[in-house]
Amino acid sequence: MKLTINGKQIEVEGPKTLLEAARENDISIPSLCDHPRLSPFSGCRLCLVKIKGRKGYMPSCSTYAEEGMEVQTQSPQLKKLRKQIMEFILSEHPNACLICREKENCDEYKSTLRKVGEVTGCVLCPNNGRCELQDVVEELNIKRVSFPSQYRELEVKKRDPFFDQNYNLCILCGRCVRVCHEVRGNSVLTFSYRGTKTVVGTVLDLPHTETGCQFCGACVDVCPTGALTERELKYEGLPQRMEPAICGLCSMGCELQINLREGRLLNSLPSDQGVVNQGQACVKGRFTLKDILYSQERLLRPMIRRNKHLEEVDWDEALDYVAEGLGQYKGEKVALFSSTQLGCEDGYISQKFAQEALKTGNIGTPAVFFPVQSLKRLAQNHGFELDLNFRMDQISEAKTVFLVGTDVPLTHPIIWLELLKALQKGARFIYLSPNEFEINRHADQWIQNKPGTESYVLNFLSRLILQGSSTSQDISEREGFHTFKNSLENFPLEKAPSITGVSEKQLKEAAEILGGKSPKAILFGGAFSQVRWRNQNLSALWNLSLLTQAGLYPLDLDSNSRGMEVIHGRSFDLGQSFNRIVQNLSSGKIKALYQMGPVPLPQKIKTNFRVFQDSFLNAQREQADALLPASTFLEREGIFVNAEGRVQKTSPVLPPMGDSRPDWWILSQLAQRMGVSGFKYKKTSQVRKELGENIPELNSASSSRLKEKEVFLKEEKKGPKKFLPVQLKETPAKPTREYPYLMMVEGSQDYYRNFHLSEKIKGFRMIRDVHWLYISPQDAEKLELKENQPVKVESTKGKMSRKVKISTSVLSGTVKTSFNWDEPSDSLINFDSSLFPAIQVVPVRIKRGE
Amino acid sequence: MEEKVLTKNFGVKNSHRIDVYLERGGYQAVQKALQMDPDKILEEVKAANLRGRGGAGFPAGVKLGFVPKEVEKPKYLCANADEGEPGTFKDRYIMTHDPHLLIEGMIIISYCVGIHKAYVYIRGEYEHIAQQLEKALSEAYDKNYLGQNILNSGFDLDVFIHRGAGAYICGEETGLLESLEGKRGYPRLKPPFPAAIGLFQCPTVINNVETLSNIPQVILKGAQWFVNKGLPKDGGTRIFSVSGMVEKPGVYECPVGTSLKDIIYEYAGGLKEGKKLKAVIPGGLSAPILKPDEIDVPMDFDSLMEAGSMLGSASVMVIDQEKPILDVLRVISDFYSHESCGQCTPCRIGNSWINKIIHRLYREKGKKEDLDKIIRLASNMKGKTLCPLGDAAALPILSLTQKFREELETYTES
Repeated sequence: MKLTINGKQIEVEGPKTLLEAARENDISIPSLCDHPRLSPFSGCRLCLVKIKGRKGYMPSCSTYAEEGMEVQTQSPQLKKLRKQIMEFILSEHPNACLICREKENCDEYKSTLRKVGEVTGCVLCPNNGRCELQDVVEELNIKRVSFPSQYRELEVKKRDPFFDQNYNLCILCGRCVRVCHEVRGNSVLTFSYRGTKTVVGTVLDLPHTETGCQFCGACVDVCPTGALTERELKYEGLPQRMEPAICGLCSMGCELQINLREGRLLNSLPSDQGVVNQGQACVKGRFTLKDILYSQERLLRPMIRRNKHLEEVDWDEALDYVAEGLGQYKGEKVALFSSTQLGCEDGYISQKFAQEALKTGNIGTPAVFFPVQSLKRLAQNHGFELDLNFRMDQISEAKTVFLVGTDVPLTHPIIWLELLKALQKGARFIYLSPNEFEINRHADQWIQNKPGTESYVLNFLSRLILQGSSTSQDISEREGFHTFKNSLENFPLEKAPSITGVSEKQLKEAAEILGGKSPKAILFGGAFSQVRWRNQNLSALWNLSLLTQAGLYPLDLDSNSRGMEVIHGRSFDLGQSFNRIVQNLSSGKIKALYQMGPVPLPQKIKTNFRVFQDSFLNAQREQADALLPASTFLEREGIFVNAEGRVQKTSPVLPPMGDSRPDWWILSQLAQRMGVSGFKYKKTSQVRKELGENIPELNSASSSRLKEKEVFLKEEKKGPKKFLPVQLKETPAKPTREYPYLMMVEGSQDYYRNFHLSEKIKGFRMIRDVHWLYISPQDAEKLELKENQPVKVESTKGKMSRKVKISTSVLSGTVKTSFNWDEPSDSLINFDSSLFPAIQVVPVRIKRGE
Repeated sequence: MEEKVLTKNFGVKNSHRIDVYLERGGYQAVQKALQMDPDKILEEVKAANLRGRGGAGFPAGVKLGFVPKEVEKPKYLCANADEGEPGTFKDRYIMTHDPHLLIEGMIIISYCVGIHKAYVYIRGEYEHIAQQLEKALSEAYDKNYLGQNILNSGFDLDVFIHRGAGAYICGEETGLLESLEGKRGYPRLKPPFPAAIGLFQCPTVINNVETLSNIPQVILKGAQWFVNKGLPKDGGTRIFSVSGMVEKPGVYECPVGTSLKDIIYEYAGGLKEGKKLKAVIPGGLSAPILKPDEIDVPMDFDSLMEAGSMLGSASVMVIDQEKPILDVLRVISDFYSHESCGQCTPCRIGNSWINKIIHRLYREKGKKEDLDKIIRLASNMKGKTLCPLGDAAALPILSLTQKFREELETYTES
């Protein structure tokens, strides 16, 4: 449509506000409450404009452009009006510096930043230089304020981790409230009181830690003033350099903007250009990178064990030492644990190193039975192939969403944002889990099943759907349909409540929703595929997805688990390989171990030679013969494949700290010293090129198309899909009189290599501690347990120490905990006969600790 | 005295009970309406020129006409009983003395628009009235004027009562909707208007209690009768709430267009104890003030607009000569700075500064520019705020400081 702004004819497309239209055409209209990703608020009133033929002034942020509109954004009256409004705003905000005549002469460091709660002028404000108020004052050329500044005398809140809240600086633009509600679906922040007493805060003014806040930092990012500020940044000054990087902390692959000053990382922000995350991040990407990078436990020099002590040495000496040590153990005597948090180049070289230098097939990662691997393996076993790539925005288009067993805002925060978009458009949403999730209030239904009975619930649902409506031809003609249908006869609905704990009525309602509108999305995460009975779970879910014609979205876990899956998973079954290595380590068959990330291993294993190649020192160093410092994902380049299957390249934002080096460099240096040829790489790009030639799925790895951020793992054209026979090999564990509680245990996802966020970062520990034992208020009362009280959890086979976390999210009779990946696995493994300890359902008893 | 229509049951023993109401001709309009074509009802309401009694005076029929006819979504009716405008107490009288009149009006409008769920949003302070309304509702359910298949017409309607929590802004129709949805009472941006996207994102009719209470007689006696009662473009009678220094403060039902002078001197018995008139606020606290020489004005929307004020909720507040005008100014400002919702800058901070300056005038001699400052602040609110609350605050303050400048200047340095 065509309209004129300030006499200039412009053309805009689609529904667009006048403010957007103006900005597109480089016409500046000041505004403080508007934000491109948020709904209009029209609170600040700075963007008022005059429209021909309309009475008074209209807010351009919420008035939509119309054909033939004549808009005036500048006039003496408007200027006066805006100045007055800005004066209003400044009368409630410290403004001495903003209108100071000496402003231009005031050097950056004239005043010392001090650790006071109050901000009385810009030079003392942590947001100096990042403040939108400053910009508007400049734009409107405000030299004086006719009102005295009124300090609101609100308490500066520092009780929460990661950010401070100084609402004395707040101008009530409501961006934080809106972003929390609209974009994050969390609604932690709200306005309270009214009139001049209006203030932003939490319900009953509780600390954020008690309100379900995920500390994603979105509120801090949209705050135009210093009201919400990142604590770590407060005394740091402005960035000199900003670099993009792909976050290496989970499978979302968010693009971050890394801010640097004097060669140091200041902080990390979600990048607005991020294709995946679109200006959003989570607590890990937003607030923990600095703690990780500058951890006191960063491993900065190679160390080798001499005379029983670890000594720092230079690379030459270390590499010779390790090459010689490893040289004695080849083939079955040696094993290598890689990590799914490494780049594809590192993964490729570790594979090549194991095969060609160590001459062993003993290569594994603890990240086994991840959703993609497990599903792929299942399909392969039944003779068909799958499309595993997807795009996140497909989820936002779904009209029916079924989420199975993963608390998606915590495990896959960006997926949750897409899911939220679907919900905002009216999608129906069901989730299946023994535990209540924070997002319960968004759900049409929460199917609360007894732990371990997921596959039963799914089969009951399939049966109901089959009974409910006539099956379309393309479904009933699919291979395996009749066998599948017949085997569902074994699931009479009346048995559902006793087996699964879910009522018939609820199952019927759920089946009705699942039979509803398309497109449908079924999402599942690690909790569903990492159990021993994964195949019976996955078959049931697979069948349900075929039956309902829903898209199946396996949500993988680590930053490069999908990349590693195609690199390592080509040659063998990762899960079996992991278990075989652990068995052979325990039996002493494997004598040397090369470890590139945390692995839960029995404490009693003895090796003759053990090398840790990692970025941090940790408890396991006592068992090390050599420690080789690897650089972190911020200090090197590499390609990573996120949960979607999207291949992304990240570049170093900092030089490697100390003597640390990329993992591929260390391994190829070792290989050379072990006399193996084919490891002479100078640059990462050489490795990448070779990798692209050898791994067909990653053949675009060194392509220049990576820049467009739209490259996905290559998938072959797949054959027809078929229904799988219903398998029920496992019956779910039941509590006993002696062990009356059913405990769910899962591996933590809050780690980077052997740096465990909740162990090392106090703020993170306040949000979620790996060692919390979630217990229902009823059970806590029965056992007379208090919050944070130490307890011992015992099963028939082992015990572990945990801290009480009273939570309504777990059913009475069940408890939940997680573990760090380098915790000695003895107790964990012994909880169950399975070697792989990721997720267990175990009957336990709970005893009060000291 | 004119024939009473809206208030005819006031003062009758147990007038709030359904049997008394029925005895006196109640629910006949519903019986008639349910046999009518909904479009005919709409036509009748439009022809009656019934203008909204809440304050804005928007023609009720036109508003009903905005509701889309064919929609998948449910539609809702909200009776605005959040009577928060200072000086206004007419709805409270209707709901106390004649709750079934309101219910009857709601049934007819719901039937007309095709609504099956209606709400009465009643101000929190009216707890006893809410209880009485609940009783009236259950009486109406018992007699099948509400519920399923009303009077065998096949039409269903449920009415729910929702109590507010004491915020003026929740009387603003979109603030009311937010509050009814369980959210903070912030006004919404318009467009979209509630008729298209209202309660729970569905088409919604919002009418004042008095407006709805007029519907039964429009149906029973016809639009022409109604127009004849009042003025051609502003039909019917209105209930005036008269308060302040008059002999007989209270509610008076008079035809639309009755002179303000008559309301004060004839109906309300003139000023108390022979006091002299200083000023009148003719239409609730947000209406610009009138001086004694301006009160010979017909009380209808258009005439008062011409006179530079507004009819608003038809609440007449009478101020006598002895009352310092600064007190009036302070009361007005105290109210609006307390009730500003806080969403938009000019209203939130403008009101607060005006209030601060006024309070300073009590403590110390004001500065010479204080009055101009108040005028400048109020002008910067007028027409620039997100919802009408900013105007409601600016208008009386502007008129007071301008019309009583001389008196107010005695508080400032010369």
